[in-house]
Amino acid sequence: MSVTANPPRWAEALLRALLKPGDFEGVSGDLLEQYRDSIHPARGQLRADWWYATQVFTFVSPGIRLFAALFSAQFLVRTATDWFQPPATFFFRSTISTALGIGILVTAGFWAAWRSGSFATGALAGTLTAGIASIASIAGAAVMLAVWHDPQTMAAIRSSGGFAEVISLPLFMVLPGALLGACGGIASAVLKKLLA
Amino acid sequence: MADILGTFEQAVLLSVLRLGEDAYGRAILRGVQERLDRDVAAGAVHATLERLAKKGLVASRLGTGTPMRGGRARRFYKVQAKGVRALNDARATANSLWHGFGWPLKGYF
Repeated sequence: MSVTANPPRWAEALLRALLKPGDFEGVSGDLLEQYRDSIHPARGQLRADWWYATQVFTFVSPGIRLFAALFSAQFLVRTATDWFQPPATFFFRSTISTALGIGILVTAGFWAAWRSGSFATGALAGTLTAGIASIASIAGAAVMLAVWHDPQTMAAIRSSGGFAEVISLPLFMVLPGALLGACGGIASAVLKKLLA
Repeated sequence: MADILGTFEQAVLLSVLRLGEDAYGRAILRGVQERLDRDVAAGAVHATLERLAKKGLVASRLGTGTPMRGGRARRFYKVQAKGVRALNDARATANSLWHGFGWPLKGYF
């Protein structure tokens, strides 16, 4: 038992951002109590920090997970159509998938900010949506590649930008995710003001 | 009839009821894990308590902090009359569903 052991600051900051202001004290106190009382003495600093971080992620709302699943699904559908039905030009598909992606991230930000009453939550929602979706998208694309890697599909992958692009694109969406989520958050704050 | 409770909601409410005055987040989490005999995410219990509070089935108040908690207060939960009614209804529904069957089920396959 150690009353001086502390979990990572970033994880506490993330927990604060995920919870309603009135809930932070009780929830973070519970986690800190367990961290200091049983987890840290039994597992040591590194594994206790990992435990704390995983606990914090359980507070990501199901709504964010749903938006992440939608974002990931649209990315994988786009990837699959590029691989199996390569077009002459990618412009139309790019426009559609970009619009869909922007729409999902802005809506995630709007929804989270509407619920919490804080526009900053919108930015966090956008970041988390894009972050979780990037992991799911990369994993999904890797599975697709493991199943379909015949010469024809490999040629289609190369002509659509290569597998490196499939891996990197979802990761590059995290920062825009924060910005688009913030836009949704601002839109939510403005609408709330107008309705009030 | 009051709200129809899911299994997880019943586990949370029963843990709060069993803990009485000591029903705060970490103790409830432990109670739910024991009741369901599996690992349960802290976030899932928190979300359920929030939902139950919104429905008026539980109420909460902040207690005092301890050094172990970095001075942060415990939030204590208490089952409300509406919560007890919902639990009774859930039990009655289960009993009614199982009427005419022995337990464990035997001889159907």
